[in-house]
This record gives sequence, structure tokens and C-alpha cells, in this order.
Amino acid sequence: MTDLSPRTGPETPSPAAGTKRKWLPMIVIAGVLVAGGVIVTQFLRSAVDYYCNVDEVGTRSGCDVNRRLRVQGVVQRGTVRSAGSDTDFVIAFNGAEMAVSYDGEPGGIFKECIPVVVHGHFDTASDTFLGDRVEVKHSDEYVAVNDERLAESDALADACETGTP
Amino acid sequence: MSAGVIAMEDAGFIIGSYVLTFAVIAGFTWRVLRGGRRLADRIDDDDKYWT
Amino acid sequence: MTPPSPTRATEAPAEQVDGGARSGTGTFATRMFGIATLVTMGWLVAFGLGFSPADRDQEEAVRIMYVHVPTVWLAYLAFTVTAACSGLYLFTKKHSLGFDRFAGASAEIGVVFMALSLATGMLWGKLTWGVYWQWDARLTTTALLFVSYVGYLAVRGLGGSHDQRAKRSAIIGLLAVLEIPLVHWSVRLWRSLHQEATVLNTNGDVDMDGLMLFSLFVGVVAFTLLYVWLLLHRSRVMAMEDQLDDQGLDRAIDARRAEATS
Repeated sequence: MTDLSPRTGPETPSPAAGTKRKWLPMIVIAGVLVAGGVIVTQFLRSAVDYYCNVDEVGTRSGCDVNRRLRVQGVVQRGTVRSAGSDTDFVIAFNGAEMAVSYDGEPGGIFKECIPVVVHGHFDTASDTFLGDRVEVKHSDEYVAVNDERLAESDALADACETGTP
Repeated sequence: MSAGVIAMEDAGFIIGSYVLTFAVIAGFTWRVLRGGRRLADRIDDDDKYWT
Repeated sequence: MTPPSPTRATEAPAEQVDGGARSGTGTFATRMFGIATLVTMGWLVAFGLGFSPADRDQEEAVRIMYVHVPTVWLAYLAFTVTAACSGLYLFTKKHSLGFDRFAGASAEIGVVFMALSLATGMLWGKLTWGVYWQWDARLTTTALLFVSYVGYLAVRGLGGSHDQRAKRSAIIGLLAVLEIPLVHWSVRLWRSLHQEATVLNTNGDVDMDGLMLFSLFVGVVAFTLLYVWLLLHRSRVMAMEDQLDDQGLDRAIDARRAEATS
């Protein structure tokens, strides 16, 4: 019978190459498991309840005023003012309004009548939300700048004054 | 910050996204084709089901 | 019988080298797909960066959408094909390794384009949201989808027989694809920074300017053609890799048998 047992002689090729090849996928799998754990943790901690709407602050569970919050609302027309290094504006949602003082100049496509999510905490003494991060939520509508429907969509944007996006 | 500077910054991101996309596609394509050519040298044409 | 020398095993006669280099993994069909891909990619650049208008809110930043959305589309398509081929491998009598190689090639392409989708999405996010990344529902589930398929590819590289590789990766391929609906509907299931789908939504309305929609369509067509082209080439490369593996194993057994009987 032919002997097909593994060779151990000096001419046996070094097992290093084969071993090396299998180590890499194992390291990647370990990395994937760690990354997966981090992502699921972030999902449970952050993503499932990403923000509170303005009208929910202080009323909805998880939107208590004494904790760090992310608040979503529409930037109100005529309220954006630069005050030194800060930017002050008012956001509204479902008829409720909130004054915001943001530490810096908001980035992205920040402007009036656009929904934003402000990260920060509520200062009860000044009745102002002190923000340290602003994220602009853009809609799923895409309208060309020179579109004839622009006037129509601008009219719709005026609805932001009521705090109803 | 002036509007011009903002526009330049935007252009960098926009062009950058296209350059990145096409560079990665080109790199991946090159790797696949090079692998194919190298291996094709070592295999009979009769064993290639696509020939 | 003389055992083949280790060096000769990797060398081929000159005429075979030339023939192989000429043919590679290309055929008439792949060349046609390649030309169509190049032409539509040219259109994508022309429409994406030139002819399509700026957006009312996003202005020029909207142009990133024409590469971002097609990369996501391609990744979804690739992972769905991986799942389909995994199912065909597992649930057909023949258990053809051809299906496994299509599944593996498709997942590899999908991972590359998922990475591109994340990268272009971050650039788009910085211009519109004002931040590169945030742990909201869409971004978090997309990151999970990406690492799942990196894991899928790592499992394929673990070694063992081709059938072992095919079986374990097919199971992962069938499970991981379930994340796609979760990613797509994450913006509706949870409160998200990311906007809802404009085209693939349930209300049937597409709130997009005509030329913008056409530019997006060109991008999706270009990337779909690219996918088919890459899939054909990569699966053929994988077939040759498997064949060389088998040949190497056969040679080792022959050499060992020759040694034992001499």
C-alpha cells in the first residue's frame, strides 16, 4: 500500500507559508468580530433613538432636559445671528420652539428653513439649548436650481415658519 | 469664509469622490486582469471553460 | 516515473505562455461588456459633473450622489447574487463549485464597492450634513453590512477543501444578505440623519429633477455593466486558482507515491 503519511524529512517544505496564509484570515475574522461588536453597541446606544424632536424635549422618555441630547427641528426664518464665535438661531417642530446657541459656525448646507440635529445640553437658566455640534438633515427631494418649480418649492419652504417641515 | 473658498472646498470633495471611485475601480480591475494573465500562463487552454 | 521538479511545475512552454497571456480571462463577451462599461462611465462623468444641474439646497454637492448611489446599488446587487449562488450551491444536487466561485467573486466586488460607497458617502456627508460620520441608523447598519462581508471573504480564505470553503461561506452568504433590507429600511424604521430613499421608496413618487434622475440612471447602468464584466473575469480567475490548487495537490500525491514505491 502506498505510504501517503505526512513527510517530516529535511526536504519537506517549510510549513511557514501555509501557516501564514491561514493566520491572516483568522486575524481578519477576529477584527471583524470586534468591529461587529462595536457597531452593534453603537447601534443600540446611538442609532435606535438618534434624536428627540423639539416638542418632545422634557416630555418624552429619553428626552429629559438634564441629560445630553440631540434635538431635531427646523431652523426658523430670520433667527440666525452670529454672536462672536457663536451662532444663535431658533429651531421648531410641531409648533414647539427652542432657542439654540451653537459654539461655532455650522457647516454643511446650514441655512434657514432646513431641518437640523443639534447635539448639546439644555441650559435651564437661559432657557437655551447649548449646542456643540450641528448636523444638517437634507430632504429626499432634488430640485434643480434653475427649475421653474423653484418658486413653488420656495413657497413650501415658507411653511418652516410654522415649525411644520 | 468667502463663497469662493467654499466653492473650491466643495469642488475638491466632488472631484475627489469621482477620482477616488475611478482610481479604486482601476486598481481592482488591474489586479483581477493581472491575476488572470498570470494564472492563464500556467493552465492549458483546454482547461479554461471560457475558451 | 520521474517526479516533476519544483521549478518546472510553475513554468510553462513558451508557446503556452504566449497563448495564455493573449487569452487571459477575456472573451468576446467580456470585451463587449468592457467597451459598453467604458462608454457609459464616460457618460456618467459628463452628466454627473457637467450636464446635470446643481440642487436647490445642496448646490454642486449633489454631484457626489451620481457615484455614491450606484456604488451602493452595485454592492446590494453583488451581495444578492452571492446569496443566490450560495443557495444554488447548497440546495442543488450537483453542489457545483462554479456557483461557489460566482458567490465569492461577487462578494469580493461587493466589498470593494461597499467601501467606495462609505467613502463617497462620507465626502457627501461632510458637504451637506457638515460631518463625515455619525452613528445613525443608516450609517451604522451599512458599516455592519460591510464588516459582515469582509468576514465572509476571510472565512473563504481559511483553507480546507474547496467543498468545505463553499459550504461554510454559502451559509454566511445566505445569512448576511438579510442585512440588506435592514440597511435600506433603516431610515424608516428608526430616526436617522440620512435622508429617505428618493427612487426605491414605497410611495411611488420620485422627487427628483428629470436630468438628475437621468444622470443617476446612467450611473446605475454603468456600474451594473462594470459589475457583470468584473464578475466574469474574477470568477474565471478563481476557477484557475482552484484548478492550480487541485493540480498542486495531485502533483504532491504523485510525487509522494513515486517516492514510496521507488
